[in-house]
Amino acid sequence: MSRVLLIEDDPSVREGVELGLRRRGHEVRAAATGEAGLAAMPEFRPDLLLLDLMLPGMNGVQVCRQVRERSQLPIIMLTARGDDFDVVIGLEAGADDYIVKPARTEVIEARIRAVLRRLDDGGSGRPAIEVYGELTIDRVGLTVTKAGRPLALAPSELKLLLHLSAAPEQVFSRQQLLEHVWEHSYHADARLVDACVARLRGKIEDEVGRPRYVQTLRGFGYRFGPL
Amino acid sequence: MSTGDTGSTGSPASPVPRRSPRIRAFGLRTRLLLAFLLVAAVSAGTTAALTYREARTAVLQTAQDTAVSSFREQVQQRGFGLPVREDGGGLEEVLRDIARKGKPHPWVVFAEYGSVRASSGENPVSTVITPELRRAARADPHGSFERVVKDGVPYLTIAMPTVFKTGPDNLLPSGLVLYAVMPMTDEQVNVDALLMAARDGALPGLAVALIPGLIAARSVLRPVRELRQAAGSMGSGRLDTRIPVRGSDELADLAHTFNESAAQLERSVRELREAEARARRFASDVSHELRTPLAGMLAVTEVLDEDADGLDADTARAVRLVSAETGKLAVLVEDLMEISRFDAGAAELNTDEVDVGEAIRKSLDNRHWTDDRVRTDLPTGIRARLDPRRFDLVIANLVGNALRHGSAPVAICLRTETRSADTDVLITEVTDSGPGIRPDSLPHIFDRFYKADAARTRSAGSGLGLAITLENVKLHGGTIHAGNLPEGGAVFTVEIPLRVEGAGG
Amino acid sequence: MRRARRLRSTALALVVPVAAMLPLLGGCGIPETDVIEAGGPASVQAFFNRDSDMLLFFRAPDGGMSPVIRTPDRDPGATAGPIPTEKIIQALLDGPRDEDRAAGLTTALPAPGTGPTIEVDPSPGRVTTRLPLSVKNLNAAALRQLTCTIAYSEDPDGQAVVQLTGHDGASRSGTCGLAL
Repeated sequence: MSRVLLIEDDPSVREGVELGLRRRGHEVRAAATGEAGLAAMPEFRPDLLLLDLMLPGMNGVQVCRQVRERSQLPIIMLTARGDDFDVVIGLEAGADDYIVKPARTEVIEARIRAVLRRLDDGGSGRPAIEVYGELTIDRVGLTVTKAGRPLALAPSELKLLLHLSAAPEQVFSRQQLLEHVWEHSYHADARLVDACVARLRGKIEDEVGRPRYVQTLRGFGYRFGPL
Repeated sequence: MSTGDTGSTGSPASPVPRRSPRIRAFGLRTRLLLAFLLVAAVSAGTTAALTYREARTAVLQTAQDTAVSSFREQVQQRGFGLPVREDGGGLEEVLRDIARKGKPHPWVVFAEYGSVRASSGENPVSTVITPELRRAARADPHGSFERVVKDGVPYLTIAMPTVFKTGPDNLLPSGLVLYAVMPMTDEQVNVDALLMAARDGALPGLAVALIPGLIAARSVLRPVRELRQAAGSMGSGRLDTRIPVRGSDELADLAHTFNESAAQLERSVRELREAEARARRFASDVSHELRTPLAGMLAVTEVLDEDADGLDADTARAVRLVSAETGKLAVLVEDLMEISRFDAGAAELNTDEVDVGEAIRKSLDNRHWTDDRVRTDLPTGIRARLDPRRFDLVIANLVGNALRHGSAPVAICLRTETRSADTDVLITEVTDSGPGIRPDSLPHIFDRFYKADAARTRSAGSGLGLAITLENVKLHGGTIHAGNLPEGGAVFTVEIPLRVEGAGG
Repeated sequence: MRRARRLRSTALALVVPVAAMLPLLGGCGIPETDVIEAGGPASVQAFFNRDSDMLLFFRAPDGGMSPVIRTPDRDPGATAGPIPTEKIIQALLDGPRDEDRAAGLTTALPAPGTGPTIEVDPSPGRVTTRLPLSVKNLNAAALRQLTCTIAYSEDPDGQAVVQLTGHDGASRSGTCGLAL
């Protein structure tokens, strides 16, 4: 199935999650520290990073930042509810999603699948490449360039942009985005959306304070354009 | 933070009706002033009255003594032949002479002897002299006087029986009695002046007494007012309230006692709060510590469940039991942590503007409550700023509770209501078709781990569901109320103030 | 209950001092008095001379005894000194004169009949008299007229006990008791 790198300091959690995921057919490499995890990455080449935020030494947020400097590897944070501050920082650092511990393996796997799933609603009859202002979106090659310069978008950012731009000027509530982009429940944490939008704007907008592409509609949600 | 709450929460206790502090018919100030005035009036009045009486007595005494002694003196200088002749004896001349020399003012002098009646005035017989005076003068040869008020004019009437010498040392009543009648108009004027003086002295005295009365009332009332303010301040939770202690009177003692009590209270409350905080921290710590091992266990319950089929029966049952209880334990720990966050005031409200009807529908969908068991009346288009996750928990807890403890069908009804000028309220009602909640359970229904049914040792939920629901509703600034329908069935009513306008992102 | 009691005590606290002040406030102006004794009588000059005047007692309109001083014409050859009591009694029995009657004085004694003469037998502190009238029929005023007249005739202080014996043989004795 997929190759999952698990960085988790607590042995029982590490072992339990590893065991559960392996049973479901995933190839799991477990590391006890951020340093060990980062060291294992080039050799293991994971499809996805499952990252505990509370780590001894180098913490999860730092690991997250380092990974994002190099790659757009999907990252799911493992967190305990209540460590809300960590969640926000983790999301700002580039994590795509998060899971609250303790969680059943089926929940963890569902999140993994959701993050790894490609958007498949682009298809029928649309041109493969769309141009919006300076933005060029390649729905097939899954690349985005701005003024000809390719942008490095994390999976959640890319998915959000593709979803919004598929229906320009249509308003999506954050609940709708949670359901469609993150495959969360309607009632999940809307900060996921807000953090992702903020990161996306940082990459595609000229002025983050006055966004052109991803616009906010107060009280309702977000829309793509109008330019 | 109140935990052992009644069915209705969030609504502030109806304020104690405050009486207007100023105008009170028989307030302390009025009573003090009245008492002061009364004392002043009594003392001023008594003093004035006593002084007046003494002075009046003195005035009258002087006049009377003067009159009586000078009358006797005048009479003694005269000679009368016996029998006294009415005519030609010069009797009237003598009487007029005596009358002229009357002191302190002229008299009218009357003489009575046998049937002889004569006077210095026009009428030979006085209308003022009383029979009692005559009788006294006749019965006993002594000078005597009597004050008589006739037609509003006070008179001094003096009777002077006369005696003459029958020998060097022997006196014999002559049968002649002389009377002097003196109008006491001057004395009347004097006495009236005295009365005026007493009254004019007493009334300004009373007015003057009003000033120290006011000052005294003020000095007594100021500490009382301070006490009231301090007590009110304490009542509203400012336990560090103290009163400045002035002087060493009873009120200072009271202030001192108040301060000591306040300090004691503050200390007790602080200790209580610290103990409570410790207890809560302990619960929080325990949950935290439980969570890590649970995270590992929960991740592998699936493994247990899947492989249980291949084990022998007893082991399989044991394994399934462990798996199931691990799940429940996880829920319990999660709920405990949630409660701990509420207790610590660390619960955050992440609001978003949502379509409430849709939110409720999604909650039901997520839990697969989409069949006949749950009936909904959810108008579309009601938008509110809510924390979707917490609102989802409220709905899920109430519906789950209704399905578990009441019976299907469970009805969810959503509506808005305008309460006052500009507060609209979002009302969500969850009604079940069961027997309802026992009245003695109603006040405790939102308590933690409260078991409405004593026979059930452990509910299917964590036992914290309704407590968390209550906290979540309170976090939204709303209230939740549990009750029973007249036709049976429990009804939970959640009221959350609507704030439609707000930030969207 | 408590409240009622408190109200009552408040009312009491108000009423008592006010009630206590009422008698003080009452009696403004000059009040009447009873008859009050003030010293002795007035001693006047009645021009009484024992050596020339006789003192007779008649009845005043109010029933009391009223002394009357009479200066009789002296017989030119009469001896100086007090007028004999017999003469005085005779004058009393003759009754009030015009000037006495004018003053409303009367006598309670009957008009003197002719009969035995008046005899006076003085001894220290006691005077015995025989009168030409019936003593038994005399009323109290008449007896007093006689007694006082005789007593003062015999004695300036009129203290002597007077015994009266009439021609009917009846006898009375007493004292005048008018002196002060």
